[in-house]
Amino acid sequence: MLNALEYQLIDPVEFLQPNRRLFIDTNVFMDTDARRAGGLKRLFERGQSAIIANGNPVVVPTKVVGELTKQSRIHPSGETMERAEAIKKAGATLTFLESASKAGLVRKDLGDDTNPYADDLFLKLFERFAGTYEMCLLTHDITIKLRIRLLAHRLAKRLLVGVLTKDGDLEVESDESLFERGFRKYKRHATCIAEGSGSFKDESEVAVLKPLLDDFGKAFGLKEPATNLGPRAVKSPSSPEPRRSAVASTPTNSFSAQARLKPSDTPVAFSALPKQGDHVTWASADRSGSLVLGALLGEGGEGTVYDADLSTVVKIFDKDHLTRHRKEKIELLVDRNLRAKGLCIPSAVVRNGNGEFVGYVMPKASGREFQRTVFNKRKFEREFPSWKKADLVDICISFLEKVQYLHSMNVILGDINPKNLMVDEKKNVFIIDADSWQLEGYPCPVGTPMFASPAMLGKTYSDVLRTMEDELFAVATMLFMIVMTGQFPYIRTGTDGDMVQLIKEGNFAFQYENRNNKDQPDGDWKYMWSHIHKPVKDLFWHTFHREGKHYKKRPTAAEWLEAFKAYKSYLGNKRMNFDPMSNDVYPIRNKAFKQDTPIRDCPTCGRQNAIAGIWIDDTQEHSLPRQCNKCRDQQPGRAAAAPTITVPCRDCSRPFPKSQLKYGRCPSCAQKHDERQARANTLDPSRLCVRCQKPFITYGNVEWHQRNGRSVPTTHRAGSGGRYPAGCVPTLPRTPRTGPTASTTKPSAQTQVGFWARLRKWFTGN
Amino acid sequence: MARLNIGADDLVDNPTPRVPVSLCLDTSSSMSGPPIQELVRGVNLFYDAIDEDDDAHDSAEINIVEFNSSTGLVHDFASIERLRRISALTASGTTAMGAGVNLALDTLENRKATYSGSGVLYYQPWLVLMTDGAPTDNIDSAVRRVVDLVEAKKLTVFPIGIGGGADMKTLARFSPNRPPLRLDGLKFKEFFEWLSRSVARVSRSTPGDTVKLDLEGLAGWAEL
Repeated sequence: MLNALEYQLIDPVEFLQPNRRLFIDTNVFMDTDARRAGGLKRLFERGQSAIIANGNPVVVPTKVVGELTKQSRIHPSGETMERAEAIKKAGATLTFLESASKAGLVRKDLGDDTNPYADDLFLKLFERFAGTYEMCLLTHDITIKLRIRLLAHRLAKRLLVGVLTKDGDLEVESDESLFERGFRKYKRHATCIAEGSGSFKDESEVAVLKPLLDDFGKAFGLKEPATNLGPRAVKSPSSPEPRRSAVASTPTNSFSAQARLKPSDTPVAFSALPKQGDHVTWASADRSGSLVLGALLGEGGEGTVYDADLSTVVKIFDKDHLTRHRKEKIELLVDRNLRAKGLCIPSAVVRNGNGEFVGYVMPKASGREFQRTVFNKRKFEREFPSWKKADLVDICISFLEKVQYLHSMNVILGDINPKNLMVDEKKNVFIIDADSWQLEGYPCPVGTPMFASPAMLGKTYSDVLRTMEDELFAVATMLFMIVMTGQFPYIRTGTDGDMVQLIKEGNFAFQYENRNNKDQPDGDWKYMWSHIHKPVKDLFWHTFHREGKHYKKRPTAAEWLEAFKAYKSYLGNKRMNFDPMSNDVYPIRNKAFKQDTPIRDCPTCGRQNAIAGIWIDDTQEHSLPRQCNKCRDQQPGRAAAAPTITVPCRDCSRPFPKSQLKYGRCPSCAQKHDERQARANTLDPSRLCVRCQKPFITYGNVEWHQRNGRSVPTTHRAGSGGRYPAGCVPTLPRTPRTGPTASTTKPSAQTQVGFWARLRKWFTGN
Repeated sequence: MARLNIGADDLVDNPTPRVPVSLCLDTSSSMSGPPIQELVRGVNLFYDAIDEDDDAHDSAEINIVEFNSSTGLVHDFASIERLRRISALTASGTTAMGAGVNLALDTLENRKATYSGSGVLYYQPWLVLMTDGAPTDNIDSAVRRVVDLVEAKKLTVFPIGIGGGADMKTLARFSPNRPPLRLDGLKFKEFFEWLSRSVARVSRSTPGDTVKLDLEGLAGWAEL
């Protein structure tokens, strides 16, 4: 999570997954703040299908229902307008809760009445079930918010407190913001007491808040906020225009969104480049000092990195990369004084003994490059042998949170590639190479063709500003390559190794819905793809395939984040994620089709869950392969051949290789079937039309009538358009029901009375 | 068969784009003695260097074609993990360079077809041609194939002359873009070190990128 953020927005659907619970406090129903108006309605609209699908209604405890009932029973006469409004609102809420409960959207039978206060009830519930569920309480009460946040910290569990935005998102404040608001509340009550106007309520609030804030500050390492807090020092996140995003407000100190391209880069003069052991000076936004360059940590294409202290390193550019653009870009970043975990943002400018710019200080990254970890099976299994798919999804989420933060600052990373991203064993992602980022019109001068959008191909990186669409192509490619451990999205068979051509074509070859998949690469990649959560798969396909709906308008970091968070909760949901192999990083078969698909261990090699049933439409049951794909491929004589799937013929049930079957039939049954079809389309010469005495009905048609227990027709019937074959027209033509032909037919005595006519008759009685 | 299949898994399980390198080596009788011993040592050193480089390890695939009175495959393409170090090469007979180069080109074409058919990305292949003499067969068709491929940017070729007897004019015909190199004495070690660094450099790039070879690094073991 980024410290710099004051609050985050969470999709309510996340807390409607079976392993999560969402609670609503009384004050949310009674809220009259226009900025959040309609939030409850949106919450239920957005969450409806998840609630029903997961059987996980929103919880409104009996205590809350009780409080609402009490409110609604007060007689409004004699009350102030405001009170009267509140009484009405409580009544309306009860009505709503009643119908929502009937619809299965709300559960209001939970809780006991032994606790006199709803607050204590929530705290007790959260403490009791913290080990079972991730929970979120929607409330405006700052005291209960502080108490639950503290509880979550103490238990190290995910227990959230928040309010609703008007879009129905869960808005969860940062620790700092919560602490500050708690403090303001405390001050307010304390002032009342100090001024002698304190009530019992003020006294009790102060008694609760004082020790609570004390503990809270200690737990989160927060200091008492500056004495003179404005009425709202923290800008309310529920601003009039809430963003439809998963995290972050637009930071106030972001870079320009529309800066023009700066004139070409030029070298800056310098007298000497410092080396290990040399003294250099540094200057951050608010401080300066000097340091000695420590051990050489690495040499890259642009410079050398030295140890500075425990948590920081220094990058000294080499002679070819000491340029005006880099200098000015770094000064801009240092000035902003940005701090965010996992982002190695320059924190100070570094100068040599002569006061010339030579490099910068940045936070130290830990872990190893993606290129040397997740992007290669051999290295991945060596580095992180115990990782599951969920861990890779966590990596994606961590990467996306950082990207989203930078995008909200109008920073474009530009050269997203597996050597600029690092990951450690705790799944922390670090983004390095900040001096190449594009900001304020300074281009990102480097790039990696594999991540270049079709529009960027062939361009000189240092001469153009990348667009957000270019950036989002790289983001999508990176996400795909994390989930697929290094495989390139446009990999397919039949290429001549020309990557630029592959990106240009937009021919994404992985199997999607009913599309042709003959170009999928060999190996287990197709199985890996098959197990990806459908919504994420959808986004990938539509982004990479030239016919996809996001091919030109790519998903934003926020949209990806939402999808990957849903992927994460899907993996944690035993009921929805029914195929255990979906948790594996390297699955060896396709995902099981349905929840009731039988899944077995392989009897030959013992690999767990290695066999899944294949549904056969005709027999209406699953066919279970005798051994897993790996064992089958190793059978003598099969080694070189493409994997062959044997399927029983739908007619004779003998097994045949799938490639030999024709519409599910083996060659001999297919031939018989064709003959049957031909006969079915032939007129039966033994049946003659009673009107014209000619054959009129096919064998197939006769059989159909007999099979369905209907009497076989004896005459030609009207074909399309109500026409009869020439020479066989009934003597008394019926009036066609509708159509222009009606006017050409003479009305006769037998003309049926139309529906509307009958209706009119029924009304008028004649 | 199972072994073969493991090889195939290895090919497709690794998503790293490959650099196929064919070493096309002269093992005619004139190479016998110290030259062939140094050559074997140099090749093994090359394998070790590739093995140790984190990037080249996953991308380089090497085979060896030898030519003397006829030509043959010493070993086919394999990733460095599956490559046994070579124990010895036997020097005898004449110098069928044309046949040798043609075989090397055939194996490279086959390998590319395998990559393409299985869905593996690759860099355009490298051909290292080493000889200490002059061809004894017709090299015209081999020269034409090499030149066409190099001009179409589908092949990078390194013709290397070993010692003073190497026919540099013939080698030059195989290298339209840059002059062939003459190895200084028996400095195979230096050459193969340079070659492994160059392979590593390519494997750190992206297929399709123009990779600058470290020509300064040639100093000390070759004369241009």
